[in-house]
Amino acid sequence: MMQNFIEMIQMSILAYNGGCVIAMTGKDCVAIATDHRFGIQAQTIATNFEKVFPVGKHMYLGLAGLQTDILTVFKRLEFRKNLYEIRENRTMQPERYASMLSKFLYEHRFGPYFIEPVIAGLDPKDFKPFICSMDLIGCPNQPKDFVVVGTCEEQLYGMCETLWRENLEPDDLFETISQAMLNAFDRDAISGWGATVYIIEKDKVTE
Amino acid sequence: MIGVNQFPEYKVPGAVQHQFNPYENNGGSIVAIAGDDFAVIGADTRLSAGYNIFSRDHSKLFTMTSKAVLASCGNWGDSDTLSSFLKYKVQQYADAHENREISLNALAQLMSTMMYGRRFFPYYVSNILAGTYEGKGYVYSYDPIGHCERHTYRAGGSSAALLQPILDNQIGLKNMEQKPNVPLTVDRAVDLVTDAFISAAERDIYTGDGVNISIITNNGVENRRVQLRKD
Amino acid sequence: MANHGVNIGPFWKDGPSAGSFYNFPGNSTNQSANDYGKQASTGPITTGTSIVAVKYDRGVIIAGDMLVSYGSLARYHNVDRVFQINENIILGITGDYADFQFIKQVIDETILADFSMDDKIAMKPKDLYTWLTRVLYNRRSRFNPLWLDMVVGGMQYDEPFLGHINFRGRAYTSDVISTGFGTHLALPILRERSEKGTMSEADAQEVVKKSMEVLFYRDCRGYPRYSQANINDQGCTVTKHDVQQNWDVAYLIKGY
Repeated sequence: MMQNFIEMIQMSILAYNGGCVIAMTGKDCVAIATDHRFGIQAQTIATNFEKVFPVGKHMYLGLAGLQTDILTVFKRLEFRKNLYEIRENRTMQPERYASMLSKFLYEHRFGPYFIEPVIAGLDPKDFKPFICSMDLIGCPNQPKDFVVVGTCEEQLYGMCETLWRENLEPDDLFETISQAMLNAFDRDAISGWGATVYIIEKDKVTE
Repeated sequence: MIGVNQFPEYKVPGAVQHQFNPYENNGGSIVAIAGDDFAVIGADTRLSAGYNIFSRDHSKLFTMTSKAVLASCGNWGDSDTLSSFLKYKVQQYADAHENREISLNALAQLMSTMMYGRRFFPYYVSNILAGTYEGKGYVYSYDPIGHCERHTYRAGGSSAALLQPILDNQIGLKNMEQKPNVPLTVDRAVDLVTDAFISAAERDIYTGDGVNISIITNNGVENRRVQLRKD
Repeated sequence: MANHGVNIGPFWKDGPSAGSFYNFPGNSTNQSANDYGKQASTGPITTGTSIVAVKYDRGVIIAGDMLVSYGSLARYHNVDRVFQINENIILGITGDYADFQFIKQVIDETILADFSMDDKIAMKPKDLYTWLTRVLYNRRSRFNPLWLDMVVGGMQYDEPFLGHINFRGRAYTSDVISTGFGTHLALPILRERSEKGTMSEADAQEVVKKSMEVLFYRDCRGYPRYSQANINDQGCTVTKHDVQQNWDVAYLIKGY
């Protein structure tokens, strides 16, 4: 009985450290953005914790959720990706990376890592934009517009749903994703403290 | 619901136990914006509980006076009761004051008091009161136990988290470097409320079907309706 | 307690303590007061299932089957769940039948008082609807709800009226209403027809018939016999109907 009550008022482990990540598609480009906060519940510990990692020439991985799991999952994924690239002697395309991650997360179906991933990238061959998000057990979601994860998910959905347009040029995409993230995490106490945006184009990545 | 069942060690003879949950969440979202000399207030028209939609054309806006419109959502039974009670009080005021209308700010305070009167069995509602007072636009928002605050714009209800940052950005001009220095017009406010609801209806299952918008100017209240997605 | 705070325990499991009476199992009622206070009713006991209701161009139809269940037991057969209240109002109920009988008695007294005025002004459906909303809301606010889903229909002057009130005082009006299992099974049928445009009386009869048929086949608490109240500017009738059953197809279904 007491246990029920504790469970009821306890914050989700996914929201223990706070933070958010979004990715958006544009015209021949994709963008991915992260906030900088790392906290323990309401207490801010650091304001330089970026949750987006480069995992290829045109590919980025964003992880929102429990900080310890973010680091662990990123490292273990790097291991699996490197193994793939050595064995196959070719770079991994975002689709493969996403399905690898999905399978990895589902291996821990009954004791999951408390993270929600976002993958953004361009296909190494035809440079087609690719975005994907997942839940903590690896259920993939690949819409054509945008993906959002993290503690201010609802706010991000509201912003993205109003600001996003089809075929945004890189500059406009930057403006859109920045405004979406900034205004969303300003209404979330446990996300924010600055943001980093990556605009991934065929010939360059702008941070 | 939190009750004695969660704390068996606090079971005391004489205390009344309740298993019955008097609340249900009937969803719905509300938005209001205050301009210089007007206010715009909108509410979606879906009445739902869980995965059921009871009505697709159900107004959550209540015209209290010619200068005040209340939007209320949450537990519909409570919204219904609270709004009727408030209307009764508005009439009572008129009867006691030579048929004068109660002013918006007096109404705002009255509602706060009424809601706090149910502090220990609250009306489970999210309320926004919008209108004009002495020619100026006002928006007041409330929490379920009667905390009242004045704003220039506010979102409430099931899509509050989706709608509020949109208003921050578009009305509050937050995170903007070059701020356009033009006063808000009625048309822009109405368009913004409409667009915000279209966005909310995409992602929130408790918001949809339609939006009722009331525009309160010094000429009175004008009502409009816009269709939303019905799924 | 007979032992005045000294609890030496019962003689055997669930048996009487010294100086106490044997506590028979299952003798506690919904409303009994015990050491820890009063327990109000927490759910319906004898229940009626779905109600189906539609508004058509010049009237309203409310239909409901004639079974009152006690859990999964089909307890009372051929019981009416839709009624004519007066010349303007019809009413259908889902939920606890005892609670209904209580409220029906109060309604009938009110109608009698209204009739006794002899002023040729009869109560209108909207009046009953708002009144019932207040009653159900106030009961839920006292944590002693009347466990009912009520559908009020009738003629508000020349306009058809149809409203729905649940046990928490949630009330709304609509062109089509269904309660209980009907929200899942009948409402889609009613809405599909209703969104095509205003119904004639025959259209309404047809869609109600179809809904009652589906409900009988798929609702385990359903019943093939139903009563149907029809009110319009010509007056009010309450009629009994039977679902035309056809189980031929049942022999073809295998595997579940």
